[in-house]
Amino acid sequence: MTADPAFSDRLQAAVARHIGAPGTVHALTRLTGGATKTTWAFDADIGGRRDPLILQATDVGTSPVADPLAGLLPRLTAEEDARVMIAAAACGVPAPTVRAVLSATDGLGPGIITERIAGETLGPKVLRERQLAPTRAVLAGQCGRVLAAVHRVDVAPLEFLRHQDAAAQLVAYRRVVDHYGCRLPALELAFRWVATHVPQSSRHTLVHGDFRLGNLIVDGADGLRCVIDWEIAQTGDPMQDLGWICCRTWRFGGSLPVGGFGTREQLFTAYQEASGQTVDALDVRFWEAFGNLKWAVMCLRKGLRWRDGTEPISIEQVAIGRRTEEPLWDFFDLIEGRD
Amino acid sequence: MPTSQPDAATLIEAATRYLEDELLPTLTGYHRFRTRVTINVLAMVGRELALADRHAAAERARLAALIGRDGTLEALNDELVDRIRAGNLAIDDAALRDHVRRSLAEALAINNPKWPRRNA
Repeated sequence: MTADPAFSDRLQAAVARHIGAPGTVHALTRLTGGATKTTWAFDADIGGRRDPLILQATDVGTSPVADPLAGLLPRLTAEEDARVMIAAAACGVPAPTVRAVLSATDGLGPGIITERIAGETLGPKVLRERQLAPTRAVLAGQCGRVLAAVHRVDVAPLEFLRHQDAAAQLVAYRRVVDHYGCRLPALELAFRWVATHVPQSSRHTLVHGDFRLGNLIVDGADGLRCVIDWEIAQTGDPMQDLGWICCRTWRFGGSLPVGGFGTREQLFTAYQEASGQTVDALDVRFWEAFGNLKWAVMCLRKGLRWRDGTEPISIEQVAIGRRTEEPLWDFFDLIEGRD
Repeated sequence: MPTSQPDAATLIEAATRYLEDELLPTLTGYHRFRTRVTINVLAMVGRELALADRHAAAERARLAALIGRDGTLEALNDELVDRIRAGNLAIDDAALRDHVRRSLAEALAINNPKWPRRNA
């Protein structure tokens, strides 16, 4: 999909203003569009060079109806998102290099311009492309080392991050279920199990919150090149990030437990070596189980959100609504040791 | 239930044949993806038409046994949800776990029959 000329002109002016003249925009292409942001790829002439860039534009929403669940879960503003990526990059995390944070005068809404990293993000392709086989062999270890760096980031200057321990998340997800009036015994049992199995956590760190295939750019040479999509970053138990990437939904049909491509031992060993922190496999299992519950609730929300009147009904979203039972099935497999 | 002919399953089959055999080959990108999702959703509706009555009867019978009285599916399910939320049932209660598992399996038989099988 291509952009209208006015949009392209405003983007060129923004590039010239924030990064460098002339800022001429080439090959502007929409990569993804979601409920919360739209991502564009483009090249821009800056000085004598042509730089590959990404525009991540936050959708401010045009619906006259207010989202009844707004603010329930953490979502960073573009400026906060940029500050987290800058802090992560300074700590050795391969996060996108921020080139500009848009301002109101740009007329593009809130957004960030970052450098564009070449590579594959689509889960099924990462798991099946033949030339990525060497990458798959080392990827779980790379994920462990990168997560150790994420969890080392000093969060003191990132005062806007919301602390989301298991209890706070339970309250938020409970409210989503009750808002839509869902009466599913499996969901209720999962909520009760999670509430009674929260591990004692001594560490509170930066948590990426959505660390999984889809948000990792990989290539055949370096493996993991970049971790993207930081907009739900928060602080909390770091084991949450290790559990989330193990959820079967994020294995995209692959047979191995870490993202479909690696073993838990590879992930944990690399994490322990890089962080000096012991990984308790049972704690990670808790967060994997809770991750399944959270994804089940997210599916419900996607399927029923049109009822709020904030967005039109969509075939894609209602189909995701019917995926609610998948992670719940996995939840019980996990807690019964049948995974 | 009296039905007009051709029946609903036939209508779904005809719509699917058009979308899959005639429309899909002409599409790329966004519309190809959305049409695939639409075909999947129609298949779900077809499975639900075939299985919903049997599933509902089985679910109601399990709920009546769990709750210890008879009632409509909705009333019994509401009561079970309330009992779980109130903490009046052990979360490892075998009959409860069995009911939840079977209900999930029934839903998945409609929504995504391949999911309960292992990938390995």
